[in-house]
Amino acid sequence: MAEPLPVTRFNPWPTTIFTILSALAVLFLLPTLGVLLSSIKTTREISMGELWSLPASLFLGNFAEVLGNPAVHRYFLNTLLVTLPATAVSITLGALAGYVFAKLPFRGSNALFLGIVAGMFFPPQVILVPLFRLFNGLGLIDTLWPVIIVHSALGLPICVLMMRNFFATVPNALREAAIMEGANEWQVLTRVVLPLSLPALAVLATLQFTWIWNDFLWPLIFTQSDNKRTIMIGIVNLKGQYSVAWGVQGALSLVASLPTLLVFLFFQRFFIKGMTMGAVKG
Amino acid sequence: MEQHNRFWRIALLGLPLGLFGLFVVWPLFSSFYYSFTDWNGFDTNYSFVGFDNFAKIATDRLFLQAAINTTIWMAAAIILPTTLGLMLALLLDSRVAGARVFKSIFYLPICLSAVIVGQIWTWIYQPDWGLLNTIISQITGEKFKYAWLAKPDTALWSVIVAWSWQQTGLAMVIYLAGLTAIPGDLLEVCEIEGASPWQRFRRVVLPLLAPSTVVVVALSVINSLKGFDILYIMTGGGPFNSSDTLAMHMYNESFKKYLMGYGSAISVVLFLIALAIIGLYFRQLRKVDRIYG
Amino acid sequence: MAQLQLANLRKSFGQVQVIKGLDLAISDGEFVVFVGPSGCGKSTTLRMIAGLEDATSGTILLDGGDLTRARPADRSIAMVFQSYALFPHMTVADNIGFGLQLKGTDRATITARVAEVAGTLHLAPLLARYPRELSGGQRQRVAIGRAIIRNPKVFLFDEPLSNLDAALRVQMRLEIARLHQRLRATMVYVTHDQVEAMTLANRIVVFNDGRIEQVGTPMDLYERPANRFVAGFIGAPSMNFLPVRTNGSLIDWPGIAPLALPAGKAQVVELGIRPEHLVAVEEADADIAGDIEIIERLGAETYAYVRVAGQPADLTLRLPGETGHRPGSRIGLKLDWSRAHWFDADGRVL
Repeated sequence: MAEPLPVTRFNPWPTTIFTILSALAVLFLLPTLGVLLSSIKTTREISMGELWSLPASLFLGNFAEVLGNPAVHRYFLNTLLVTLPATAVSITLGALAGYVFAKLPFRGSNALFLGIVAGMFFPPQVILVPLFRLFNGLGLIDTLWPVIIVHSALGLPICVLMMRNFFATVPNALREAAIMEGANEWQVLTRVVLPLSLPALAVLATLQFTWIWNDFLWPLIFTQSDNKRTIMIGIVNLKGQYSVAWGVQGALSLVASLPTLLVFLFFQRFFIKGMTMGAVKG
Repeated sequence: MEQHNRFWRIALLGLPLGLFGLFVVWPLFSSFYYSFTDWNGFDTNYSFVGFDNFAKIATDRLFLQAAINTTIWMAAAIILPTTLGLMLALLLDSRVAGARVFKSIFYLPICLSAVIVGQIWTWIYQPDWGLLNTIISQITGEKFKYAWLAKPDTALWSVIVAWSWQQTGLAMVIYLAGLTAIPGDLLEVCEIEGASPWQRFRRVVLPLLAPSTVVVVALSVINSLKGFDILYIMTGGGPFNSSDTLAMHMYNESFKKYLMGYGSAISVVLFLIALAIIGLYFRQLRKVDRIYG
Repeated sequence: MAQLQLANLRKSFGQVQVIKGLDLAISDGEFVVFVGPSGCGKSTTLRMIAGLEDATSGTILLDGGDLTRARPADRSIAMVFQSYALFPHMTVADNIGFGLQLKGTDRATITARVAEVAGTLHLAPLLARYPRELSGGQRQRVAIGRAIIRNPKVFLFDEPLSNLDAALRVQMRLEIARLHQRLRATMVYVTHDQVEAMTLANRIVVFNDGRIEQVGTPMDLYERPANRFVAGFIGAPSMNFLPVRTNGSLIDWPGIAPLALPAGKAQVVELGIRPEHLVAVEEADADIAGDIEIIERLGAETYAYVRVAGQPADLTLRLPGETGHRPGSRIGLKLDWSRAHWFDADGRVL
């Protein structure tokens, strides 16, 4: 490494680092770029080996095909029907439990809390078979219900963890002051603690939305008929229909990722915070 | 007061604990139960077979293959994204121009579904017009054709590269958070003491990043144990089970061959492995906590 | 009317008893200060009165009615917290009116009541602000406003001045004193600062280790402490303590001519004397003599720390602001025997 340089001399490090990072960034972007390029090219162009070159003209036929496909509409609707309620339920219940762990601790509550958080670490395959049997017995296989329920339950570890940790930063005196004013715990939670926890709620909403939207395993296990599938399964299903229509597949991937990409773009700050918070504390 | 607290604890914990107990904890224990049966997924009757399923695991060639692959996968998942993520974090931490944009670019793959990632990389490895073969052809000057995902030698590693591409961003942000937590005056001390940049990194920065490393490694291990979606999309465990992992194997046995009893036994093994790793993780965490609070 | 009575009040956390049986009667309109070192149980007692902490046994009576098990909000008791506990996401008006909102009082009434309270506390121009936008003193007034809007029978203060800087603390102390004069309400005030206790209280309750050491007016405690703990805790700088040996009817101590032991003080092991009751005299007339170690000048007065041979600790002595004594010089001290406190082996005053 270089000796400490006099201030007046040219420092090569920032430029070098910038160059290295730029090269790596291009390498990292290439795969995504490929999908983008494929989506605006005709099948003929691609099969002639022109996938990775810049397109001569913007071809929107792939997107028209995807957006006009009623199956895609159905997949999208199903994914929303799963993602929105499961996100809402896991965060709501996570807040309830997190409140107790943070503000109303009891003998053994810490062990209980750790037990729930540990759920984050186990491969979901561990509970696959019993859940399949349970929902089969309830006659709920091939409906969206099991997917919603399981995502709500499996979202609890991260939600409980983050809500408890955030609530712990809200001073106890605020709760006590509200109680002196005549509030019950529900009012303390909804009128004092939750309004102060909007950052944590935003973090969780972005995380949960992304994870549930992107999930593949649970809808694969619990749904069978095409009109109950979510978008990620749908992509795989449509592979057959568009087997050589690479451009359509690319457009489909983009459309399917659009909600999470938008969430990422607008809530990037929360997203990264959530990932590191969940990771570091877990 | 305590009476009210008791009421509210029950009222607030009831739903979350009920949901978690019914759909996570109870199935976990049922898995143990089913692992001693020969249930096929449909019949209401099944019989107890004792430890037969576990005995079968011991002799199952495919299980052994999957276990080996999972180990390779884990080791690679620890080494590749961790080192690359650390490198990126160090480069980004030097207040380089456009750091925010770079960070977003490296982080972007994390918010993509494993299905999409699998799809993208399937194209990169596509034998006829895939990016990888195209580049190799450009460099060597002759038409290069190799089916990366269809050859037992390269299938697993090809998926591992795709996986690392997605996971690197996570390691990077965790290391970045760790780097910003290092007090500036410690680095100033290094300057005053005359440490070289390498000495500073090796003797001060890296040890202080230990908590981040524990987290990154633990996440890599845990996530690789879960590794399923991307394999399902890219290789389905093939060819000839060369890229099978335990999670994949469990799925195939349970939902392809409908040997749910046997699948449960595999999942019990998975659970025990995860439990051992979590135990190890918490021990490391406690060790790290003693130094770093 | 608001008479507060604690009878045999006890509190345990698990196996540990932190309040070991308190009996105390607080009369209507009285300003009572709980004072003691940290961990002495004064805050826990206050929180039991508030209802934030359950009493393990014993009773709390307000005007004869038992509220030991009543909900905090049903006790007609208001509390001002150490950090003020203002809700950061509510305006001053909402903070003050929060209790009324919870009760479902109609909007117009709340607005009128809030305006009325804000007027008396000079908060009217600040009603639309958020707590973050207020100074420390203004925050305290909002916290007080939130307390008085409910017309409580008893006000509780939990170390409300400990977060303020020294200048503001004096100002806020005066404001609380004024509030008490105006409202004539029963107030219980917790602090670890004995100056606050002395200046604010009608009566001081000195806590130590979960028990009440002594109850009395500030001057009572200052002039007639019941034991060594109270003697040492009240007054700044603290009282000087001199170990004493008795020899028959004589006091026998190192470096000093034997003195006759007054009647009834035969059990004495320690003598207490406040800094202002030591008088600097010529060494020939002195009871004790020593070397001045350090001189602390406060302007109006000066404290000298005097090293006396055979004494375990330096003696503190109060001198006028303008004094000719210098560190290192010899000084003779005469005790004002009528103001001396005599302690036995258990720390009790004889």
